[in-house]
Amino acid sequence: VRETNYLDLKLDEFLARIAASDESPGGGAAAAITVAVAAGLVAMVARCSHGSWPDGPGVAAQAIAIQERVAPLAQTDARAWDEALGALGSAGEPGSGGDVDLERKLDLAAAVPLEIARFGADVAGLAVLAAERCEGAYHADAAAAAALAAGAARAAAHLVEVNLAVRDEDDRLKLARAIEQEAQEAAARALRVVR
Amino acid sequence: VRQATLGSLTDAELVRRCRAGDGAAWDALVERFSRYVYAICTHGFRLSETDAEDVFQEVFTRVYTRLDTLRDDGAIRPWIAQLTRRLCLDTLSAGKRVQPTAEPIAADVEDVLQEIDEAFDVREALTELPDHCQEMLDRFFARDESYRTISAALDLPQGTIASRIARCLTRLRSTLEGRSTGSRGSRE
Repeated sequence: VRETNYLDLKLDEFLARIAASDESPGGGAAAAITVAVAAGLVAMVARCSHGSWPDGPGVAAQAIAIQERVAPLAQTDARAWDEALGALGSAGEPGSGGDVDLERKLDLAAAVPLEIARFGADVAGLAVLAAERCEGAYHADAAAAAALAAGAARAAAHLVEVNLAVRDEDDRLKLARAIEQEAQEAAARALRVVR
Repeated sequence: VRQATLGSLTDAELVRRCRAGDGAAWDALVERFSRYVYAICTHGFRLSETDAEDVFQEVFTRVYTRLDTLRDDGAIRPWIAQLTRRLCLDTLSAGKRVQPTAEPIAADVEDVLQEIDEAFDVREALTELPDHCQEMLDRFFARDESYRTISAALDLPQGTIASRIARCLTRLRSTLEGRSTGSRGSRE
């Protein structure tokens, strides 16, 4: 069966897939798309402010680069989550990949949201810059981008935390929490600029 | 060190050294254009790895034996592109005679070739930027590193990375806009 690429779906179809009773796409995919949307907002703000902000085009280019990287992670996350669930369901059965295979799949299921969180923090950082330097008419969009990116980073960090492969002392968990903190601080700064 | 010095030469300077029989310059020339030739073969014409390697060998053999037909030393890149395209088409034509189900070439082959050219323009322009800009842009765009990672690696405040990258992009744009174009190829 050929897998549907979420990025090929119309927006209403993607939203329907999110709301369907299947396990995926779930929170990780939603976080990835949210970061991609926030990156798009930053790019728009930076492009629209290029007249008064010489670094605007360079910031837009970075935002677009992040958008192109994070959007496909919606699919990657859903696939990783499906495979981890499948491995958990068949654990111990004859013919299953065994503990090593299960651990590998759970590792991947944690690695993808960690990557999404990292992109979220980067977009939140870009959004702060945009909020500080953009033309006044776009302040609110820059702040919205920061809030969306930080929210998605928090959601993704939470998915890392609840993943069965991740224990309290795990470095990935520490990194996820640090990234989440960065993103929250960035969003708070962006909102302060606007208020 | 010598290879690094050769790497900083312009295309025309490198070709002049090749014409003078400098063996290291030949190595540097192949190094400089190998990815370009390979990209045209595999992305532009979708050749198999084996066919691409055959074309690659033939391109550089012809460059070696026919360099004296190149009129403008600065036009080595379009000349190599022309040679590569012709050999790719020859390979595809030969393949169709014995293997009718061969993969068609990309319908948008001209667009792909233009993208490859632009990518190499950017790559060359990058070499003219200060080292810190080259490193910053390479880390973000090529190695896909986060601002946090770049900040830690270069010991710079994290909040300044995006601005620094943006300024380096502005310099890159100026460099690209300032580059001369329109060199003419060989008589072939």
